[in-house]
Amino acid sequence: MWSGNAASTRLITMRNRGTAEASGPVVEVVDVAKSYPGGAGVRALDGVSVAFAAGTLCAVMGPSGSGKSTLLHCAAGLDLPDTGRVLLAGQEIGGLREPKLTEARRRRVGFVFQSYNLMDSLSVWHNILLPQRLAGVRPDQAWAREVVQRVGLAGREHDRPGQLSGGQRQRVALARALAGRPEVIFADEPTGALDLSTGREVLGLLREAVDSFRTTVVMVTHDPAAAAWADRVVFLADGRIVDELVDPTAEKVAALMMAVSAR
Amino acid sequence: MMRLALATLRQQRGAYLGTFLAAFLAVALLAGGGLLLFSVLTAKPPADRFAAATVVISGDREVTLETVTKKKDKVKTKVKSERLTGAGMLPADLASRVAGLTGVTAAIPDAAFPLQLSTMTGQPIRGRDDAPVIGHGWQSARLTPYTLRAGAAPSPGEVVLDADLASRAGVTAGDSVQVTSKAGVRTMRVAGIAVPASGDGLPAQGALFVADREVQTISELAGPTAVGILTAPGADRTALLAAVRAEAADAAVLTGADRVRADLPGALPDYIGPISIFGFVIGITAFAAVFVLTGTVSLGVRQRLRELALLRTAGATPGQLRRLLGLESMLIAGLAAVPACALGVLVAHLVAARFRTIDAIPQQFTVRINVLVLLCAALAGLLVTFLAARIAARRAVRIAPTQALAETATAPGGGVLVRALLAVVPAGGAIAVLTFVPLGGPLGMGMSFVSSALLLCAVAALGPVLLRLLIVPLSRLAGTTGVTGWLAGAITRAEGRRVAAVAVPLVLMFAINATMLLNSALLGALTADEQAARTAAATAQVTGVGGVPLGTVDRLVALPGVTGAAATLPTRAIVAQGGKPEDYVAQGLLTVGSEQVLDLAVRDGAIGGDGTFAASSFLTEQEGWQLGDEVPIWLADGYQTPLRLSAVYERSRGFGDMVLPAQLVAAHDPRGLVSAIALRYQGDVPAQIHADWPALRVTPAIEAARAGDAQNQQGAWELMVVISLGFTAIAVVNTFAIATAARRREYADLRLAGATTGQVRRLASREAAITVAVGLILGMAVTAIVVGAFSTAQDGTFRLIVDPGTYLGMLGGVAALGLLAGALPTRLVLGRRSLPLVAEGR
Repeated sequence: MWSGNAASTRLITMRNRGTAEASGPVVEVVDVAKSYPGGAGVRALDGVSVAFAAGTLCAVMGPSGSGKSTLLHCAAGLDLPDTGRVLLAGQEIGGLREPKLTEARRRRVGFVFQSYNLMDSLSVWHNILLPQRLAGVRPDQAWAREVVQRVGLAGREHDRPGQLSGGQRQRVALARALAGRPEVIFADEPTGALDLSTGREVLGLLREAVDSFRTTVVMVTHDPAAAAWADRVVFLADGRIVDELVDPTAEKVAALMMAVSAR
Repeated sequence: MMRLALATLRQQRGAYLGTFLAAFLAVALLAGGGLLLFSVLTAKPPADRFAAATVVISGDREVTLETVTKKKDKVKTKVKSERLTGAGMLPADLASRVAGLTGVTAAIPDAAFPLQLSTMTGQPIRGRDDAPVIGHGWQSARLTPYTLRAGAAPSPGEVVLDADLASRAGVTAGDSVQVTSKAGVRTMRVAGIAVPASGDGLPAQGALFVADREVQTISELAGPTAVGILTAPGADRTALLAAVRAEAADAAVLTGADRVRADLPGALPDYIGPISIFGFVIGITAFAAVFVLTGTVSLGVRQRLRELALLRTAGATPGQLRRLLGLESMLIAGLAAVPACALGVLVAHLVAARFRTIDAIPQQFTVRINVLVLLCAALAGLLVTFLAARIAARRAVRIAPTQALAETATAPGGGVLVRALLAVVPAGGAIAVLTFVPLGGPLGMGMSFVSSALLLCAVAALGPVLLRLLIVPLSRLAGTTGVTGWLAGAITRAEGRRVAAVAVPLVLMFAINATMLLNSALLGALTADEQAARTAAATAQVTGVGGVPLGTVDRLVALPGVTGAAATLPTRAIVAQGGKPEDYVAQGLLTVGSEQVLDLAVRDGAIGGDGTFAASSFLTEQEGWQLGDEVPIWLADGYQTPLRLSAVYERSRGFGDMVLPAQLVAAHDPRGLVSAIALRYQGDVPAQIHADWPALRVTPAIEAARAGDAQNQQGAWELMVVISLGFTAIAVVNTFAIATAARRREYADLRLAGATTGQVRRLASREAAITVAVGLILGMAVTAIVVGAFSTAQDGTFRLIVDPGTYLGMLGGVAALGLLAGALPTRLVLGRRSLPLVAEGR
């Protein structure tokens, strides 16, 4: 189970891909450590190195407190690591300060979070276009319309998020992430607040985004069934990467999780 | 339930800070205003001039009217009275008649009359704390008693001063002083120095005694103003009192603490003005406090809808939530009330000190701390907080439990119909006040305040509805300023209720203060204009320190070269108004010469003539008088005489509502001195005046000083505006802070969507700009209605801005405060936590 030292950068080749394009890592985390003050010096991340290849769906799993959300926050530039480097599409973001960090993030990254994080006072359509507007670029409306179509929100563009169901809101969040054509989408427990079948639909959409739009998705989840949609699963425990799985199935993920949690 | 309330309070200290602050300030203001009003209402004269007398018989000190109305079988008797500014007299033989009664050792008549005392160099002398100098006959010294410390009793041409006056004038026995009464100016020799039982003089009056034989010459009083009775020890009080009452007939017989009321009204600190000032202070502060507190509490409840929904999910019934909110608010208000009462005491002392400095209240005034008043203020604060919480809760608790799971909770909105109804009532009230109350009269200022308060209530009720009308164009305008402007527009359109809650204190701040400032500026300007117009024809104005005796005026206007003169004696006169005696400022007027000097803009008739008087058009309309009507008028000493209305004049502002014959006023006003003589002359009249009366001042007519009274009023008014500005400004900042604190999550979501902190700050500023614009537009509307109506009532001219400087200053000040209050809390919220933690709603 224990497969090698955490400091070595791993690169997994894509599966199911007919294209011959060489795909380098979109996100690369090198030897990142992070601890939160006040928690008696608990290290949330303890020297993690991992790379996420373009055009793949990668899941990050681990027991509660393993540092998986912290890893996602650091990789996405939402939080700054104490030590180590974070490369987003080749750009070092560890040393960026606001507002440069925000600018880098909104150009390259999309988010889908458990709590949707939509603006309630804006309509679905305006929510979807908001990041591009904030970035000061002319929104690609044709593409946005296509995305809306693909996630199944056609006809709901003028509704407010408050009028939608949880699954629909998560579709809005996904459409918003996709509309900006980001290089990577970070998803933190995207199905956490959704029921089983709605969650499955959202995962299907994430998978489809990877397969047909060649988007890269990094998803934190604790649900083996969700992780099974990924091309690769990385396991975290106590702030370190302890294992990984390529071409996972729900059973294999669950078995590995049991083992990781039991350690 | 109590435990839950305490737990939530401990849990979210920050969220309650806003309510706490509002309750704290509101209770402090209520307590401060309450203490001041209580203190003036219960203020006692500082000393008893008649301490040595057992019984005092007093002349009239008030005019009393009795009206009997018959309604079917019922007979109703109403007794209304009005205080006199002078003192009524008693029959000259009363003292000797009473002296013969058994048990009476002495009955001593006291004639009290105000005097102007000055040193030989012309420097005016007043008593301690600017107390007036009161003259008496020497025999009445026994009534206090005053005893000689040095020198001897006064003979004609001599005075005895109390030790305090003597030291202020720097004189001792043998020196000379100048004494001005309505009978003329005299140089008198100081025969002796007297002191009361303790101290150098009485606290609120300087005493000057003249020889008993000279009292009538100097005071021109026909009889004593009071008779003090000294009794033998062990005399039969009941029998004595009965006998005295029989002799006194209609005159009041006073004993114990009431004896002091027999003193000259001008010798006692006057608390009538302060009562109305403090009444107004408490009216304004109470309104603003209740208004702000209600708004803050309901905003606080609305901000916590999510938490309430969670409690509903956990099984709380709507009733439990209502009780929880009520209890919480009471706890907060209770916690706030304790330090607030302490602050209230401080406020009362500070305001009193300031008012003493500007002479708006007597120097002898002290703040009395009363626990009951403090308790009432605290209770009022508690009650308002509780009611506001319960009303806000009424809607909020209807929230569905499922909303807890939703991202944001929204309370079911109140119907437009209910809001419209809630707005129509106060708006109707405001229109009624503006339409039916004569705003040109003495009630004008107070009523214009009442109508702006009512309009503010209407605005608060209709807030969200009115806002929709304003926000749409404003947010479109904001949308032209880039993405943050567009976003600010979208958010304010969606969050009308919150914008309304934050804008209403801005409306309050602008409307209340601008109305007060503009109306008083308008009155000031109109008064100055009328004053200038009245005396435009005069080439000079002559004034003397404390006043000029009428005899001096007669000789002065007879100087060669004087072609016209008008001398005015300020006084007060009382007329009956629907069975109630009402007191008005009046002027005794003496005009001489062929040229008109004083132009009162007479509308009908002509001023002058024996047994006649003139009245302002305001008073004439108020009373429904016609030219030629015989009107009974009470003069300052309570003497009633019928006068015929011979003229109606327009320019009454800063002058008075009645013009009476100068001789009549001089005879019945205790002071009876001319305050100013407007002159028209040819040749070097000023030089002759200087030569003959070196103490008189000759100034160009334009420099006519405003009446001291008006200045005090102005000072008090300005202090009130400062208090109200301060309080409303804090309310504005507080509301903005409460509203922003609840938006931490929203800002984090924006940051996640790719907004830089700079963009969020700009968004907040633009939202604040929209809110401020809405607040100012509504505030300007309220102000326009009230100031427009007030201005129209004054002189028929409709004005909106009145004073561009004040108006722009208020606009700029309120706008700057709003923008700052909108921007600063956002900075704090953004800088506080790292992004992911906030985004997850932790």
